[in-house]
Amino acid sequence: MQGKAENSRNFTQCDSLLIGDKCGAHTVPYIEVKNRSAKVEHEATTSKISDDQMMYCQQRGMSAEEAVALIVNGFCKEVLQELPMEFAVEAQKLVGISLEGSVG
Amino acid sequence: MLEIKNLHARVDDRDVLNGIDLSISAGEVHAIMGPNGSGKSTLAYVLAGRDGYEVTEGSIHYQGNDLLDLAIEERAREGIFLAFQYPVEIPGVAGTTFLRTAVNSLRKHRGEKEFDAMQFVKYVREKQSELNITDDMLRRPVNVGFSGGEKKRNEILQMALLEPKFAVLDETDSGLDIDALKTVADGVNTLRDPNRSMLVITHYQRLLDYIVPDFVHVLAHGRIVKSGGKELALELEKEGYGALTGTQAA
Ligand SMILES: Nc1ncnc2c1ncn2[C@@H]1O[C@H](COP(=O)(O)OP(=O)(O)OP(=O)(O)O)[C@@H](O)[C@H]1O
Ligand SMILES: [Mg+2]
Repeated sequence: MQGKAENSRNFTQCDSLLIGDKCGAHTVPYIEVKNRSAKVEHEATTSKISDDQMMYCQQRGMSAEEAVALIVNGFCKEVLQELPMEFAVEAQKLVGISLEGSVG
Repeated sequence: MLEIKNLHARVDDRDVLNGIDLSISAGEVHAIMGPNGSGKSTLAYVLAGRDGYEVTEGSIHYQGNDLLDLAIEERAREGIFLAFQYPVEIPGVAGTTFLRTAVNSLRKHRGEKEFDAMQFVKYVREKQSELNITDDMLRRPVNVGFSGGEKKRNEILQMALLEPKFAVLDETDSGLDIDALKTVADGVNTLRDPNRSMLVITHYQRLLDYIVPDFVHVLAHGRIVKSGGKELALELEKEGYGALTGTQAA
């Protein structure tokens, strides 16, 4: 927040999704505020792909990879759909790539 | 179709199934009744191949092959379907997306062309109205915020779309109001087929008025303690499980 930004507001949200049981998430918000009237909020959540969700998808015939991709895309969708079309497509691909080889 | 022999299974270091024998032929509908905690859902999960449900003794053959050799998704692709007692919520994933991914996994396995979004909508339309499933329910994330009855109808829609050969319905009737019970039962009855078998788990004989089973089995302490025709359900409704389970050493 710049010094001249009177009564400005900021909201940062950081949601993490854990895949598998060998990972964790540490979210460290870093916000610089140079104006005393600014209002700044930060929120973080951590959720996890549950065994139940995996089992449910796999019982319907999906492979573990397909199941994770589906669940992660669902998780990211809220944010991705806010992006302009060309970014959204790009981001969707990135999610796909980073998931390759993460299961099994 | 399905041949279970002397099946013993363990969950979390507890022996839950203690020697189940059950043989189901193509086209048959078998009902399983039994007190809470007798092992009905455990049997359903063992058939589906859920992780953590360890078979310690006995065998299950499905269409002549050893079912226990197959992973959960392989069983699904070979036509095993489980309508869950507690359907799982998947935030952010629209119902249609979930359904299409599932249907396409099966089509891919069968060497058929996958449905695109338009084709899939057409495929769903018909079955959707039979089961009284609104477009809104398909747009919303899978099971998130669904009422108990909506979740159960959604399970049967999945069954209708995936066209399994062997379906296990775990208490699909619980939580349904009278109209929904009829809708679901009609949906299940349309799916009855000489090449499709079903195992229907229920606490209420009323469901069996609608979905009339060929056989009824009573499960207690992880064993089948009595089998009979559809009239057995009526007997149970009158007399309870007391006499059947009491004689059984835990
Ligand atoms: N994951 C688990 N961990 C520990 N115990 C379990 C687990 N799953 C099942 N059990 C135990 O196994 C027994 C059988 O449970 P199951 O869910 O198969 O019963 P059920 O016949 O389906 O009962 P209900 O009619 O209440 O649905 C119960 O005593 C239950 O506590
Ligand atoms: Mg149960």
